[in-house]
Amino acid sequence: MKKILILILFFTQLVSAQKVVDFESEDYYYMERSQHLKITLNKDTFSIVNNVFEKAKYNTANKLYFANDLIHFDSFTDIEDIDAYTENATNKIKVDHFETKDQFGGSVFFSDQQTINFVFPAVTKNVTTTLKYKEIIKDPHFLGSFRFGTYVPTKEAVYSVEVPKNVELGYKTFNLDQIDLTFEKTETKKTTIYTWKATNIGDFRKDETSLSILKYLPHIIVHIKNYEVKKEIKPILNDVTDLYSWYVSLKNQIDKSNLEDVFSIADDLTKDLKTDAEKTRVIFNWVQDNITYVAFEDGLGGFIPRGAASVCNKRYGDCKDMANILYEMLNKVGVKAYHTWIGTRDRPYSYYEVPTPIVDNHMIASVEINGEIIFLDATDSYVPYGMPSSFIQGKEALIGISDKEYKIIKVPEQLKEKNTSLIKTTISLKDNSINALETRTMKGYEMVDFIYDVKFSKKDKTAEEYLNNKYKIGNNKTTYKNINLGDLSTKNESYVINYDLEINNYAKRIGSKIYLNLNIEKPLSKGIILKENQRFGKKIDHKYVRDYITTFMIPEDYTLKSFPENIINEQEKYGYSIKFHKKDNQLIASKRIYMNILSLENHEFDEYNLFIKSLIKAYKKSIILEKIK
Amino acid sequence: MKRIISIIVLLISTQTFSQFYKTYDWETIPRLHELTIDELNESSTAILKKNIVEFKQSEITNNIRVYETTHNIIRVNDDKGISRHNQVYIPMHRVKKIKGIKARTINKDGEITNLDENNIKKIENVDEYGDFQIFAIEGAENGSEIEVLYTLEKEFSPFGNELLQQDYPIKRCEMVFITNGLTGNIKTYNTDQNFERTYLENNLIEELVLTDIPKIIEEDYATPDANKIYASYQCFGNPNLTQDDIWNSTITNIGSDFFPEVINETVLEETKNAIMKDKASDISEFEKASFLENYIKSNFTVIENRNPQLEDIDYILKNKSASDFGILKAYAHFLNALAIEYQIVVTASRFEHKLDPDFYNPTALREFLIYLPNIRQYISPNRIDYRLSEAPSSILGNNGVFINEKLQYYFAKISQYDPNYSRIKRVMDISFSDDFDKATVEEYQEYLGHWGIQNRAFMALTTGEQKAGFEDYLTGSGIEDKNVTKLELENTDMNQTEYNLPYIVKSTIESSAMLEEAGESYIFQLGKIIGIQSELYQEKDRIHPIEMQYPNQYNYTITVTIPKGYELEGLESLVIHKKLEVDEEVLCKWDSDYTINDSELIITIEESYYVNEYPKEHYKGFRDVINAASDFNKAAILFTEK
Repeated sequence: MKKILILILFFTQLVSAQKVVDFESEDYYYMERSQHLKITLNKDTFSIVNNVFEKAKYNTANKLYFANDLIHFDSFTDIEDIDAYTENATNKIKVDHFETKDQFGGSVFFSDQQTINFVFPAVTKNVTTTLKYKEIIKDPHFLGSFRFGTYVPTKEAVYSVEVPKNVELGYKTFNLDQIDLTFEKTETKKTTIYTWKATNIGDFRKDETSLSILKYLPHIIVHIKNYEVKKEIKPILNDVTDLYSWYVSLKNQIDKSNLEDVFSIADDLTKDLKTDAEKTRVIFNWVQDNITYVAFEDGLGGFIPRGAASVCNKRYGDCKDMANILYEMLNKVGVKAYHTWIGTRDRPYSYYEVPTPIVDNHMIASVEINGEIIFLDATDSYVPYGMPSSFIQGKEALIGISDKEYKIIKVPEQLKEKNTSLIKTTISLKDNSINALETRTMKGYEMVDFIYDVKFSKKDKTAEEYLNNKYKIGNNKTTYKNINLGDLSTKNESYVINYDLEINNYAKRIGSKIYLNLNIEKPLSKGIILKENQRFGKKIDHKYVRDYITTFMIPEDYTLKSFPENIINEQEKYGYSIKFHKKDNQLIASKRIYMNILSLENHEFDEYNLFIKSLIKAYKKSIILEKIK
Repeated sequence: MKRIISIIVLLISTQTFSQFYKTYDWETIPRLHELTIDELNESSTAILKKNIVEFKQSEITNNIRVYETTHNIIRVNDDKGISRHNQVYIPMHRVKKIKGIKARTINKDGEITNLDENNIKKIENVDEYGDFQIFAIEGAENGSEIEVLYTLEKEFSPFGNELLQQDYPIKRCEMVFITNGLTGNIKTYNTDQNFERTYLENNLIEELVLTDIPKIIEEDYATPDANKIYASYQCFGNPNLTQDDIWNSTITNIGSDFFPEVINETVLEETKNAIMKDKASDISEFEKASFLENYIKSNFTVIENRNPQLEDIDYILKNKSASDFGILKAYAHFLNALAIEYQIVVTASRFEHKLDPDFYNPTALREFLIYLPNIRQYISPNRIDYRLSEAPSSILGNNGVFINEKLQYYFAKISQYDPNYSRIKRVMDISFSDDFDKATVEEYQEYLGHWGIQNRAFMALTTGEQKAGFEDYLTGSGIEDKNVTKLELENTDMNQTEYNLPYIVKSTIESSAMLEEAGESYIFQLGKIIGIQSELYQEKDRIHPIEMQYPNQYNYTITVTIPKGYELEGLESLVIHKKLEVDEEVLCKWDSDYTINDSELIITIEESYYVNEYPKEHYKGFRDVINAASDFNKAAILFTEK
């Protein structure tokens, strides 16, 4: 008999604005999802077991594919005591076949990620399925997190964590104000139990155009702060300093042998260079060009970079391998470089709030040159020196200065002026068709995105089809000629492509007049956000400025009767301007579109849609030519 | 004791076998090869792709052993080329032993990096592909040559295939087929060249050498994967087998499962108490089969894993789970219980493999259909998105083996019975706001045949972005500021029982972007209301034969209300007539035209593809019809004041 002392500490919060979930109209939902994390400590050894329970209901037979289920694990976890079954009105039918599979594919070549796959039997309308298992967590740094919502609605979700009284638990909650929730802290003789219980939680599904779902999904991250043994307090993950010293202990296991070849390459590359900036640039470019991204994530191998000698010899590595070879090469030539831990933009956490390895999923190198920190992410083969990769903008970087000292610095969001496209077009009229010569010059992320796109996304179909689908220039019937998709063999600050266009039936002739719209390309015109479809904030990959300089050659036998007035709608977050200027027999239209934000939150959608509508309206204006009699 | 036996076996095997792979090796010192400018402009080019397949029968045990050697030399010219080739996966399916894996790179400066064998990793039970050994190529840079050589000893199977064309060019491709006196057959596909008999170390072998194989090209309306060059081979211990013998024995083997002599009791019970419960006794065969299929697809799941019980009828009926082979058994029992005549069709996706009746190849036997000859319709047993219909588009046009209840079989091309099966009818009424700021389109649509089935499945099975994208398609994609004010769908349940019931869409949209100002006039981008249309491009000669998804037709009636005080110009862009006629038969056509009726402009469009296969010689004519739709999509008319 346990004597339980119950202390109900907290509150119930009802959010009136919350959407009511109609569970009966769902094809499939979770009746209950719960996890009970039990931590025990024996001297200095933790035993951590997470008891998982999930019960789901099929209201219809529309989505029987949910019967396929799986449990993820890796070398830091074991799965035990799986019990899974289907229940209908009369029977309980157990799952009798489980298969362990290695995970494979995506960006990781080899990993210790595995799944136990199984299929619930006899699922149909009105049955329930139940899954129970134990997840044994082998390392106290990886307690993990609990998500109250998932891809289908959940009627009740319960997370409880039970810790001995000599263990201090840390936790951070996210987005809990979105749901009906109760919290209890219960004391037993030897343990403390924290219980969060939520009801009526809607579905949360990731989609490509949205900001990280973790910004919206109610969830909790827990970590062991410290524990007390024989009056001595021993830290695990009390704060960033603990996290950092754990990282240092892993980093210090890096193989530093046989670096002669690495050093001689570094020396060779920089022998005629004077400044740190020049040296850093050339070494960064070398790693970008010569080390191919191949990731092995096996146990602590997922955390400890491989030795630079091995990476250099194999010519491949993952992010931390590239970060470490940069570190070795730069320090060799006298540039102070640091290992740097960072989370990508889809991990919306701060080291200060959550001092656990869940915050980061990436490693880069950084250097300080003339008082400025330069972030070096060689996993992006095309990002120009001096710019971080686009997917870490705005994120905290944990820079390892020494074994004791670290700095946390935010990677700056790259200014729109760094990411530019300049599109110069000369248009001439021939009957109702137009011919155009066009050159696009791209810099910064505008350049990086284009290069990746043209290299890796472009199918082996025609270049014309590729450009037509990408830019949608003209009236959906544009012929491209003399396409030059640029030279990718050398690294440049900018990237230029050019081609000629012929757009048939583009001009409209009425009597002696010709109507012609010089907006042959209409960027953002499809940008209206449908609020019912865009549930979460919208992600913007990078800030940019796109300038279109369009020169129209006025035909000799026509006069320019009118052209639209200049339109300017320049706001802090985004803007455009379309200006016209007549010079001799040319009409020059200068159009500028810019984006100065990396995200649009839901409350900003209306304002943004107004902006797009005004842009669409601006695109509708034509110039008018009249035949000279 | 065990140990002694294994040593003896080892001795025997070393004495009696002398396989070709043992003497085959790469050059001791590799050298860089000369390549042409074009080859250097590719991300990667294979300099050599060599495969040796050897069958050898033990004189003592009579067991047949199979050895497969792979030897590739590939030049990588850029990062795309490196990432295409620097990760090597060797499937372990049927592999008994690996007889050595070697890999090396030579860079442009002639430096050689050998693979460290310790870096070879094993991965197990990957998706449906099984086990692999994998490694990353070490030392690969731009301009390096990557060389990989390995031999696998495999469990005996009389059949095999080797793909000889890739998505990069191959300068020299060699394949050697050695049967060591056993009867063997080898056949090439998608090339005119055949294997030739020759001698290799006094051993009669078959050899194929192909040079300058172009990379496989992706084209629209094509099945490039199925059109790659490949070789298929057979080797038996018994020298007297004909192709007919093999087909016969396969069909006898699997056929009895499909035509049970005794109907399972549970099936009889479920048929009576569930499928036919409260149904009239005189319902049509189409309805009966639909009730059955809807029942199975609402109560059974088809799954892919290694559980052998998924083919056991009792287990299947209890757990309502089956493999794609096992589910056929369930159908068979139910069809018998309902007294519906059926045939089993074994075939492949036409996008992956074209079945050759003259050369038995188990690779071509991956998909199963159930054909109901009385109503000429198919059940696709493992497709949750399909219901009783003409053959699904992934199969249509391939050859199939049809097996009847007497276990007789015949080969036939899987074709469509009703050429008018799949149609879309669209009726639109377009009006404008007084200030010409906004166009309103009221639309009524009917989707028949495959279109209807697919729409139902899409709306039922997808969620989120995908579903939103599909709703966009249903209301006309590509209209920039489209505002959908009404969207009503009818006949949406996947479980229908009426033959070719239309899927109905009623919608209203508004858009301002379709109207442009031109002085006092207005340009209306009328073409946009038919949605984004595919456009066919061609820089070089067409490579692949043309295959559409299925024959289909569109019929539009578009009525535009002309505002008072305005007249229309630019109507000529609405008139497009294109057709492809071969041997006096119209294979496909586009006809759009208009009439003006008081204050209404009425446009009719008929777009028809009567067949789904077109000879590539007529690509231009086909393209003209396809592109007529995208030409119409850019059609614009002008409203000018009278």
